[in-house]
Amino acid sequence: MEALPQTLLFGILRSGLYALTALGLAISLGVIGVVNFAHGEFVMLGAYIGFWAYLLLSGPLGLGPAVSPLVIAVGIPVSAIALYFIAAGIFRVALKPVLRQPELNQMLLTFGLSIVVVNAMSIAFTAQAQDANLAWRFDLLELGFVNVTYSRVAGFAVSATLVAGTYVLLQRTRLGKQMRAVAQNRLGAQVVGIPVDRIYEMAFGLSAALAAAAGVMLLFQTQVSPFVGLGTLLKSFSIVVLAGLGNLTGVIWASLLLGIAEQVISQYVPNGAALRDGLFFVLIFVVLLARPAGLRR
Amino acid sequence: MRRELAGWGAFLVVAAALPWLGIASDRYLMFLANVMLMFMTLALSWDVVARTGQLSLAHGAFFGLGAYAVGIGYRSAHVPPLAGLVLAAVVAGVVAVALGIVTLRLRGIYFAIATLAFAEVLRTVALQLPDLTGGNVGISMPPLFDGDRVRSYYLAGGVFVLAVALSVWVRRSRIQYAVTAIRANETVAGVVGVSVVRTKVALFAASAVLAALAGAFYMPFITHTDPADAFDISRSVAALVFPIFGGLYTTVGPVVGTILLRSLEEYLRVTPPWKDGYQVVYGLVIVVAVLFMPRGLVGLVSDRMRRAAWRSSR
Amino acid sequence: MALLEVSGLVRRFHGLAAVDGLSFAVEPGQTVAIIGPNGAGKSTAFNLISGLLRPNAGTIRLAGRDITRAPSHVRTRAGLGRTFQIVQPFGDLDVLGNVMVGALFGGTATHGIPAARTAAERLCELVGLGDRTSAPVSALTIADRKRLELARALATGARLLLLDELMEGLTPTEEREAVALLGRIRADGVTLLLIEHVMSTVRELSDHVIVMDYGKKLAEGDYASVSREPAVIAAYLGTEEAAS
Repeated sequence: MEALPQTLLFGILRSGLYALTALGLAISLGVIGVVNFAHGEFVMLGAYIGFWAYLLLSGPLGLGPAVSPLVIAVGIPVSAIALYFIAAGIFRVALKPVLRQPELNQMLLTFGLSIVVVNAMSIAFTAQAQDANLAWRFDLLELGFVNVTYSRVAGFAVSATLVAGTYVLLQRTRLGKQMRAVAQNRLGAQVVGIPVDRIYEMAFGLSAALAAAAGVMLLFQTQVSPFVGLGTLLKSFSIVVLAGLGNLTGVIWASLLLGIAEQVISQYVPNGAALRDGLFFVLIFVVLLARPAGLRR
Repeated sequence: MRRELAGWGAFLVVAAALPWLGIASDRYLMFLANVMLMFMTLALSWDVVARTGQLSLAHGAFFGLGAYAVGIGYRSAHVPPLAGLVLAAVVAGVVAVALGIVTLRLRGIYFAIATLAFAEVLRTVALQLPDLTGGNVGISMPPLFDGDRVRSYYLAGGVFVLAVALSVWVRRSRIQYAVTAIRANETVAGVVGVSVVRTKVALFAASAVLAALAGAFYMPFITHTDPADAFDISRSVAALVFPIFGGLYTTVGPVVGTILLRSLEEYLRVTPPWKDGYQVVYGLVIVVAVLFMPRGLVGLVSDRMRRAAWRSSR
Repeated sequence: MALLEVSGLVRRFHGLAAVDGLSFAVEPGQTVAIIGPNGAGKSTAFNLISGLLRPNAGTIRLAGRDITRAPSHVRTRAGLGRTFQIVQPFGDLDVLGNVMVGALFGGTATHGIPAARTAAERLCELVGLGDRTSAPVSALTIADRKRLELARALATGARLLLLDELMEGLTPTEEREAVALLGRIRADGVTLLLIEHVMSTVRELSDHVIVMDYGKKLAEGDYASVSREPAVIAAYLGTEEAAS
């Protein structure tokens, strides 16, 4: 049981990135009402941009140990802005026309987009997993009775900042209020003069920007390949489903719950590390079984 | 109805005669013919579920489930392939009913997510239970009919006929009205007397059984599979792209879509730069189809015919 | 035995009771109207009775059979039909197809397509859509769509028909036609339960009126007595009017 504080801490730290990724999905689902199957690909693209930043900074610019914080400082804004515009473009060209079509069509469209992006990346940049040799991945920060890598702390810090920032945006700014209005009542929002289509586009862009930032932080934890999207997507889905449709605050709690549960299972359950992946997916079913009220038609 | 059955009869006669028209000796072409029948079955099965307005991303998983049922049956009890098909059908039916009862009460969004999660659960289970499933090494078994691709072609053909029968039945029997009503408005369909959940579950189960039969054929045909192969998302993608491209809610559509796209895939797989990224074409097909061709190829043709008929009647 | 018996029905949304202890009965052959100001809970009551919502408390009986928790299709097959305030036709089917769904899956014995087609054609004729059975739904006017809803509900073999603001959106001529049609349906032995705002229709058709406000039954009786009750007038017009 001595590992418990460490396990809990790992779980909490991990939940940061989960929350960041899931928040983007929750926003696009809550504001626009569309299930974005390509959300994981936004994360993946953000990770690639971060990787290229890493290559640029560590290669031609020859920056040694200072690379890690710079990858964050450069990679996140660049990827967030890039993905914002990419997503806004995708929205205008492909998503807006199908918003009036049945849900099935919308889901098919984003699913098709995800297939396109994954395979296009695989063609353009090879399917090989790429590794960013970032010092923070392995350097340990010793906090008394626990040891954590800088990357886990950084991941949590970045996520917490961005998630908090998003909440401030949604609660305190005019844009945020408009988004919440549209999420609650599209027709009413139109009636009071809110430009709904533009809000949709911005919400979609925002969700992609958040995903991209999470993607950059992913570099610090694992290899990057075109295929990292699917697992990320499913985890985000299970968090959003657990939190409840449209419940953005719930995303934080759900992420914490899942992050901690994941660590506890992999630590204490035999063969846990292997079952850990299945946890999220089984959880989706458990939630669907247990909370049909909000999910039933 | 009679005309349609006659059409399918003719098609089946031609298909049955295919090996004798010269390709029986060409191992590659026979392989492709077998695979085509398999995917046509998969495509037809997906189309059946799509008619109730549900997006299933699990059909590749049921395919894999069928393959593993046969593989595990052989590995643990030396169940021969033909009996394995029955085993696969039963397993898939039971699993689909259970899954359907849980998820088909919910909005389409959650059903789609649940099917995706289901596929991943199956893949994880296959990986994590090496004593049963062989883990990531997978399962092997002796080749179907000792590698006689003509006989396996007829077996695949038999499964295909079942799929055609289901598809035609859903379109022609009174079920067609239930299904169309459900797709248009589930709540109101219930108010008009349609037992919505029961219909959706039944069709989902029938469709899953067919997908599993396709997989059950695949296992001895290909002699080896592993979790990465059996539960590859590309099969779920194929299951939906072929009918969407060819024409949803028809029987001809999935068949035509399979023949055209799967042939294209054969070309792309060996041609740079596509090669392993050939699925990008499928993704584009889906996007283009949703944006411009929601009724697929068959829709395009019938629209044109309808417009021509209307013009000539004026 | 009452055909429909609603007892102590309660339905809350986020703590607010839309239906708050509603009880009433409808006898076979009657035409009962539910009236009341906007937000009184009339549509919620309909949704509870037809199975689109589950009550938090109370029971619903159809010909003595408890249907409180039954799914919609079970209620329909037991003889309960319903039209919607905002018409909900099946867009992918033509007029005849819409009615056939009711004929095939409702409580009648028409399970074959030819028999259902004949029954549907007869009903389309009854409601005045006989000449447009192969028209797409999109080509129909509001009045025609309401006819379609009626035919579709009748096709299920309904003994009790719930009509949700049928007169809304109809011109005076269409209203008269609707009233005449309802009279014919009534003569066929169908019991009618209507939500209506058009008082002339209520006065003309109903044997019995139930007034709702704030989710409760405010008054009931025949139209004349109910329209004179101070509480009812107050509900519609405010207490000063009632006092005068």
